[in-house]
Amino acid sequence: MKTSERIRKSTIGSSFFRSPDRVTERDRAAGHWSNFLLHLYPVRVRKVEITFKYTAFLGVASVVLFGILTVTGIFLMFFYVPSPTYAYGDIQTIQNEVAFGQFLRNMHRWAAHLMVLAVAAHLARVFYRGAYKPPKEFNWVIGVVLLVLTLLLSFTGYLLPWDQLAYWAVTVGTAMAAYVPIVGDLVQELMLGGPTVGSATLLRFYVLHVAVLPVALVGVLTVHIWRWRKDSMLTMDSDQGATDA
Amino acid sequence: MLDPDPRIIGDKRLLGVVPGKPPIGDRKQPAEEDTVMVWPNLLVRHAVAALVVIVIVVLIAMFFDAPLREIANPTITPNPEKAPWYFAALQELLALFHPLVAGVLVPGAIIMGLVALPYIDRNPSLDPRKRQIARTAFTVFMVLWIALTLIGFMFRGENWSWVWPWEEWHGEL
Amino acid sequence: MSEMTRRSFLSTAWKVGFGLLAAAGVVTTFDLLKPHLAAGFDAIVRTVAPDAVPTTGVLEVRDARGYLVKVDDDVLAFSEVCTHLGCRVPYVDENGRFECPCHGSKFTREGDYIEGPAPRGMDEYATEVVDGVIEIDTTEVIAGPAPGSERT
Ligand code: FES
Repeated sequence: MKTSERIRKSTIGSSFFRSPDRVTERDRAAGHWSNFLLHLYPVRVRKVEITFKYTAFLGVASVVLFGILTVTGIFLMFFYVPSPTYAYGDIQTIQNEVAFGQFLRNMHRWAAHLMVLAVAAHLARVFYRGAYKPPKEFNWVIGVVLLVLTLLLSFTGYLLPWDQLAYWAVTVGTAMAAYVPIVGDLVQELMLGGPTVGSATLLRFYVLHVAVLPVALVGVLTVHIWRWRKDSMLTMDSDQGATDA
Repeated sequence: MLDPDPRIIGDKRLLGVVPGKPPIGDRKQPAEEDTVMVWPNLLVRHAVAALVVIVIVVLIAMFFDAPLREIANPTITPNPEKAPWYFAALQELLALFHPLVAGVLVPGAIIMGLVALPYIDRNPSLDPRKRQIARTAFTVFMVLWIALTLIGFMFRGENWSWVWPWEEWHGEL
Repeated sequence: MSEMTRRSFLSTAWKVGFGLLAAAGVVTTFDLLKPHLAAGFDAIVRTVAPDAVPTTGVLEVRDARGYLVKVDDDVLAFSEVCTHLGCRVPYVDENGRFECPCHGSKFTREGDYIEGPAPRGMDEYATEVVDGVIEIDTTEVIAGPAPGSERT
């Protein structure tokens, strides 16, 4: 017996894995049902779904980028205080004194830009292959929500270094909200927490960036993937046409 | 032995008979041979895609440093002042139209339009030749938006005046 | 109105209950996050004697984030925050006017709108001479004149 098989069969192992090693197709299907993460995947998919042409793997790329952002973001949080007195200096410390600090900050920054690109490209790819058509309409709507959340995450993160680029981009961005009829001034005040971009704004954006928005994004993303899995076996009208879209 | 209960047919219990279509609806169910197991076929591809993405990010992060300008200063606005690149198209519109239009109506209309798209476009066909209107409209929007983004990102300099990116570079990432 | 049974009353009641709870949550969150600060930067800012305000060019008052300008013996205090989207509008000596770097709005030295996406002329603060020194009241912003019209 292989070691992996022995571990799976042991008392602790079988309580943990609950399914046999994936030898036959039946084991693999069983593995899907007993594994939390794999549960987001269907057991079988149509052949087109695994081709590069069909998806360009942009959805996976977005999820992976979000994963990179979470990990590097947590590292950065250990060294960052969201206050105008410290924020800028903390970024300098991260860059100059923390081991791999500059590298982590670079990864976080570039992954954020790439994630916006990947999500936008995913949207375009889904449009061109018509994957928003019934019965998948609502998953497209969820996708648009995810795009907005991605943009908000990127924009709230933009303020955190507290440099000139950040300060004025956010000044202009929040001033735009004031032009919304009726509730505009209120919305702007809520975002800023004061008359201008200041310490309250920095703290608010920080809380949104590291807690509220990521949690919201993970929640909505789970529904998005779950609906994809539910619909993954549907043969939609004239599928052949879609593959050469 | 004959079963007196008509709901037992053979060894099976009949729970009910409902009128209408099968649960899958009118849809063709894919034949067994048109599908593949996710493990390993899709999972291995996703793993490779993930590796490629991680390698790309690591390489970029090794060779390019994230920008950090001077500390925030409320008494000096940099000239030009640039929004993040994904808002460059909006910033370009802001220079041309009243902020209610460029800052509220246009982005609002884009988001609402995207949300409403599957309910507006009720054409069920996936054949590109049969959905030329939708494809053309979307393509026109994308081209316009990308053009505006590039203009706002690279072609605007001091006081938001036109510059050629190869003469003066003002893009900010 | 149809008669309300015990069952339908209860099924409405719990929905209303959750609705009220949600409304209370929204109101509480809103009150919690709403800033309770006075507008403006430092309330009243004491500056200089009226004679010290130049008749050409402008005098910048950093504490009030504004400018003092003398127009026909009257002293005006402008907010340096662009009426478009809040960038700081610098005064450009060469052409004697205010030019915003963000989206190119331009204003005359008198704070009137010339061109660009700004919806109105430069905003103003009330001023008062106390003990021979101009005081700028930054607690309230007086909206600038609409394009085409001049401030009176
Ligand atoms: S903020 Fe001054 S022109 Fe836009």
